[in-house]
Amino acid sequence: MVAPVSDGLPSQLRRGVLEYCVLALLRDGERYGFELVHTLGAIDGMVTSEGTLYPLLGRLRREGVVQTTWRESDAGPPRRYYQLTAKGRAALDGFTGEWTRFRDAVDRVLGQRRGR
Amino acid sequence: MMTDTSDRLIRDYLDELRARTRDLPKRRREELLAEIEAHIAEALPPTASEAEVRDVLDRLGDPEGIAAEERERLGVAPKRAGALEWIAIALLLIGGVIVPVVGWIVGVLLLWTSSVWNTRDKLIGTLVLPGGLLFPLGFGFVATVSEACHTVVGGAQSCTTSLGFWGRALSIAIIVVITLAPIVTSFYLAWRAKGSSAVEA
Repeated sequence: MVAPVSDGLPSQLRRGVLEYCVLALLRDGERYGFELVHTLGAIDGMVTSEGTLYPLLGRLRREGVVQTTWRESDAGPPRRYYQLTAKGRAALDGFTGEWTRFRDAVDRVLGQRRGR
Repeated sequence: MMTDTSDRLIRDYLDELRARTRDLPKRRREELLAEIEAHIAEALPPTASEAEVRDVLDRLGDPEGIAAEERERLGVAPKRAGALEWIAIALLLIGGVIVPVVGWIVGVLLLWTSSVWNTRDKLIGTLVLPGGLLFPLGFGFVATVSEACHTVVGGAQSCTTSLGFWGRALSIAIIVVITLAPIVTSFYLAWRAKGSSAVEA
């Protein structure tokens, strides 16, 4: 089904890519849940709502691409810190290469004009 | 200090999320609620204004959207309004007329055991109006018999009524309001029931 994109990209496309964006944010070190969600939420066009990222984080934990540790914070409730697992790092590396190829391919097709 | 309104906004939001995630596995539901609650606590300084609270909740997004996302990420089938929900709406409206009082009570039980409505919907469904159309029908009957007409000797008809003009106008107005209220409630419940299944469609 081809839907108009006035409401943003088709949700399946966005949701599939979003998983790897979370992994990418963890490439250089651990972050806690709120920080991850807030960072992604602040990027224009990345998520529809911040709250929908928590179900995604739960999914990534269950899949074993991230692991978490609880730590006390100076202010407020304990924080859950997310780290990339070896499996997660491999998934991210794989995606990064494939995404570049896919993105370039889509760009070429979208930019194509007759007679060129 | 957070105001009472801010506290209430947060509580209402979490209540709504709790209601919308009733069909999720218990552990996952508790975890998700705790995460959202911690998010709100992290995002808001103790001195947060009401506008800041609204902003944080707005960015978290519609509770049903979060519940739908969790269902999808978990692979749980979305809840849908089924036959029981439509029977509940019908019984709330006319159940009390078909089987006096009992029919309506069965409707209330079905209403409260369903997971497509949240607590607010269920309160509206129960309180507007208890008995559904039973009460307006009863009221209309009483108002009619209180205005008794009888033919007196000689053929002239005399109507005796305990109500004056304003009394009659008032009773008509009351009948209209208490008749419309349960009908509007039925439409509201139907709209909410359809709405919650349309989100995941």
